[in-house]
Formats: sequence, C-alpha cells, structure tokens
Amino acid sequence: MSMTTTPLTPEIVSQEGNSMVLSMGPQHPSTHGVLQIMLEISGENIVKAEPEIGYLHTGIEKTAENLFWTQAQTVIERMDYLAPSSNAYCYCLAVEQLLGVTDRIPERAQQIRVLQAELTRVASHCVWLGTHGIDLGALSAFFYCFDMREKVLDLQEAAGGARMHPNYLRVGGVQADLPSGFMEQLDELIAMFPGRMRDLRGLLQANPILQDRLIDVGIMSQEEAQEWSITGPGLRATGIAYDVRRAFPYGGYQNYEFDIPTRVEGDSYARFLVRLDEMEQSMRIVQQVRNALRPGPIAIDDTKIMPPPKETIALSMEALIHHFKIMTEGFRVPPGDVYQAVEGPRGELGYYVVSDGGNRPYRVRTRPPSMYNLQALKGLAPGNLIADLVVIIGSLDPVFGEVDR
Amino acid sequence: MPSTQTPPLTGTAIDPPALRPPIDDAAIERIEPAQLHARLADLKRAGFTVLLDVGAVDYPQRSPRFDVVYHLLNLSKTQRFRILCGVAGDDPKLPTATDLWKSADWAEREIYDLFGISFEGHPDLRRIQMPNDWEGHPLRKDYPLRGPARERSPRPAFALKSNVQAGTPPSGRTLEALQQQIAKIRGEDSSS
Repeated sequence: MSMTTTPLTPEIVSQEGNSMVLSMGPQHPSTHGVLQIMLEISGENIVKAEPEIGYLHTGIEKTAENLFWTQAQTVIERMDYLAPSSNAYCYCLAVEQLLGVTDRIPERAQQIRVLQAELTRVASHCVWLGTHGIDLGALSAFFYCFDMREKVLDLQEAAGGARMHPNYLRVGGVQADLPSGFMEQLDELIAMFPGRMRDLRGLLQANPILQDRLIDVGIMSQEEAQEWSITGPGLRATGIAYDVRRAFPYGGYQNYEFDIPTRVEGDSYARFLVRLDEMEQSMRIVQQVRNALRPGPIAIDDTKIMPPPKETIALSMEALIHHFKIMTEGFRVPPGDVYQAVEGPRGELGYYVVSDGGNRPYRVRTRPPSMYNLQALKGLAPGNLIADLVVIIGSLDPVFGEVDR
Repeated sequence: MPSTQTPPLTGTAIDPPALRPPIDDAAIERIEPAQLHARLADLKRAGFTVLLDVGAVDYPQRSPRFDVVYHLLNLSKTQRFRILCGVAGDDPKLPTATDLWKSADWAEREIYDLFGISFEGHPDLRRIQMPNDWEGHPLRKDYPLRGPARERSPRPAFALKSNVQAGTPPSGRTLEALQQQIAKIRGEDSSS
C-alpha cells in the first residue's frame, strides 16, 4: 500500500509529517484481552506504538505469598488461563527442587504430567489459531479449533474435575489417578487429530488471503528476538531452535522423541507455521506417553508432602495425623531459592521461587513469556499499517492473565 | 492506614538464597550495585545474549533490604546465569539495563511499580501494573494484603470456618465475634 493517502478530514487523516495519537483498546476485540496501545499514526501508518498493560492485574504473586504451598498453585494456574497445567507443572517442579524430592517422583506421575502439559499446549494453540483466524476474517477455522479444544478440555475435566482450571498436578505427583475411560477418550482425540489438522491446514495455511496478511508482516531478526527476550514459537520462527524441553530437560522429556519446529523467515507466517507444527509434535509426545503409561503410584510416597489416601485415615493413626497436618498447615519447604522453567505454549515459562522455611512461599516470581513477547510490539509495530498491528498481536499470542498477573 | 491483617512472616527470611548450595543448574553470582552494569555488559559480550527475567525479593529484616535478581541465558551453550544484587531499603535504586537489553524495560518498570526500586537511566520509569495514582508498592512485605475498606466489611460466613488461629488468611475477627455469630445463626440469645 502506498504511504500517502488523500486526506478525508483533517481530524481523521493527517498530512504526511504530522501525526496523531490514537488509543487502541483496552476494549478492542482483536487485542485478545485488555490491552491498550497508544499509537502514534501518520495516516494509516504506525510511527510509534506504546502498549499499556495492567488492566488485568490481580496481584497473583502477592496472593501466592499468603497461601500455603499447595493453595498457591490454585492462583498460579490462573495466570496463563489458556494453559493452566503448564503453570502448575512449572511451579510444582520448582517446589520439588526446593524440597529435594525431584528424583523421587514416580514414573507414572511424571508421564501423566507430561501428558497434561502437552494436551494443554494443544488446547492453548487451538484457541490461538481460532482467534488468530477470526482476526483475519476466517471464521470457520474457529469452530474446528474450539471443537478440538473441547475434546482436550473434556480430558482435563475427566482427570482433574474441572474444564478450565483442573488443578490436577500437585507438588509430589498428581492429585488422583486417571479415571476409567480416560484412555478411550484420549484415543479418540489422537485418532481425530491428524484429520482435523489437515482440515485446519487446508482452511488456513494455503489460503492466499491469509498468506497475504501474514507473510512479511512483523518480521523479527534473530538479534531482535534476543534483544526483546522472545522465547517459544516467536524465537523458533527466527531460526533459533531453543526449546526448554530440549535445552534443560525436566520431568522425563529426554525419553520422548519430538522435533523442534523452526523457520527462518521470522515473520507472522513463520510463527503461524511453527505453532501448527508444534501442535503435531505435542500430539506425538502425547501418543508416546499414552503407549508408555503403566500402572503404578501417581504421587510421591512421602506423607509429609502428599496427604495419605482418605480411606487410610480411618485405619491408621499416622495417616490421620499426616492428613490433618497437611490440610491445616500445609507442608514446610527448606529455605533456598530456585529458578525452574518449562516450555509453555508461549515460550519459556519460569518460576523463581524463594522459600524461607515456612509453610507459605516467601516469593514466587513468574517469568511471564507473554509479557516479554508482547513488549516486542514496541519494536515490531512501527512502519506497519494499523490493520497489520492486529496480525502482529495475534501472532505474538499474549494471554493477559499472564501479562498482568 | 496500617492493616491489622498483615500475615505473620513464616520463617526467618534473612537470606534464603545464601542458606543453601545452588539447587538449579544456573551459575549464581552475588554482586554490588556499583559493579552491576559492567558485569551485565561483560556477560552479554560473553554470550549471555538473552535477559530472561528481572525480578525482586523483599527481605524487610535484612540490610540491604531488597534483592534484584537477573536471569541470563546463553543460547549457544544453553546455560543460565543468575545475578543477585542487594539494594538498600532507603532510597533504593539501581542502574538500568535497558541500554543493554530492550526487554529490561517492562521488567524494571514492574519492579519500580511493585517494589519501589528506581532504575537510573530508564527512559520511561512509571507504574506499569498499578494505576498511576496508586500509593505504596504492593509486593513489599509491609504492604497489607487487603485494604482498609475490605477490612471493615464482614467476610462471607463460610470463610469463618477456617482456622482462626492459623490465620489463613487472617480475618481480623476475634473468637468472641465468631461465637456470637454462630449463636445468632442458631437462634440463641448470645447474651445469656
């Protein structure tokens, strides 16, 4: 599109050289939440973009400091509300490191956690893909995506009891074993997935309108990506194959075969393709976990951390005491600090957890991938059209529960 | 207005990071504010090209009061580096890292907002999460969990069943008030 436009009215379109400030959001539908961007525009062209965040600040880090170690997980899951299990997974791993029990987590518990983490990534990418399509005017893909997400949420509900925030993972393992019928449900999802991905790729990937909107929009070089601390699909779309699952393996990811999808273009279309490939890799891991699952304990055999099964408290005095102690005052964690990261759907999701030896976390600092990715908008937006800003926001995939916390 | 609902600190919390050998695989270094910027620049040249995160921790009973924690990442060697920098409680300030990494911008603004640590040389240091006219810095340990308005309002009845002594979270209610309310619900005359 040409740089100059015929002025309609002086208020709406400025002459070249002059610019006006436009506030986009915080109620704009394509900002995927409550994002306000102060745009300095010259005509349709963005001169400067300054995102304003904080509209969804709920003080989760402060709240977590005032809850027991286990209770804090409840609010932590609500940060990235599209991938609650990733948050819980990372937090549990961090606390386990502080407790020094990382090596004692049973095999089956680790497998179930990987399963949940990968399923939640698929669900999260489904939401991204659907809403990204809507931003671009492709409505039908949205229904396919949300239908598939619903299948994943059904699985989360079956395992944890809730669709959105299952709170299923626990420090020391998982809360309960997978229910009967879970495997059949999972097999249904695995069976339907390839066909559904083919549909989605057919609807979107080769779509010339979508390609026109995405290709060469919001290009990020490797240097820029590092400068803005981009992680996850954004970084891999520039050609850097950094994946926390490979770089700093945790929770048994060494045992699974998966590829790290990368692209070199660094534009919105590259990020789009990387995420699509990631969904397929996630399902590949899910399938491997599904085949590797064997019966066994689902939580650490330590009643100081994990309450004993409810049935046992009528039979054993110790079980009753441990159950009561954990329910009323939680467990204590030895003092120390730890940084634990997992590969969340949006990038490196890290927790810097400090314990002072008490039954509550002394400090839980999140490394929010969404926040760092969104910040790059300041560098990506200038020089683009306002319509392309929507594309760039969508391709960065921010979740505002996590940006604002 | 000082709150009566500030939860008690659970442990000693003088310097937990120093109490234990490193748990995770990051290299750890404690540094003085004066050397911070030069050290960060050195590390960036040495290959730690990604600033993963900047966070802060408040230790009110300690001097220096705050720890600002930098996490760096070396992509080619896949190494992490953690820098802890103590900051004094009165007039807390540090040099900015925004000239080294653009991504330090929001992280430093967040620390300024929630901890009140200012970063000298930051291009746009203002509140980011809280409203611009907010008073106080919420993530400081002496900042109450609830405001005065919330403190005066009664909490829902189900919450009263929680352990008042354990204070989770502290309700500010006395045992007598609780007993009176229970009596009222049961239709008993509390004065008798």
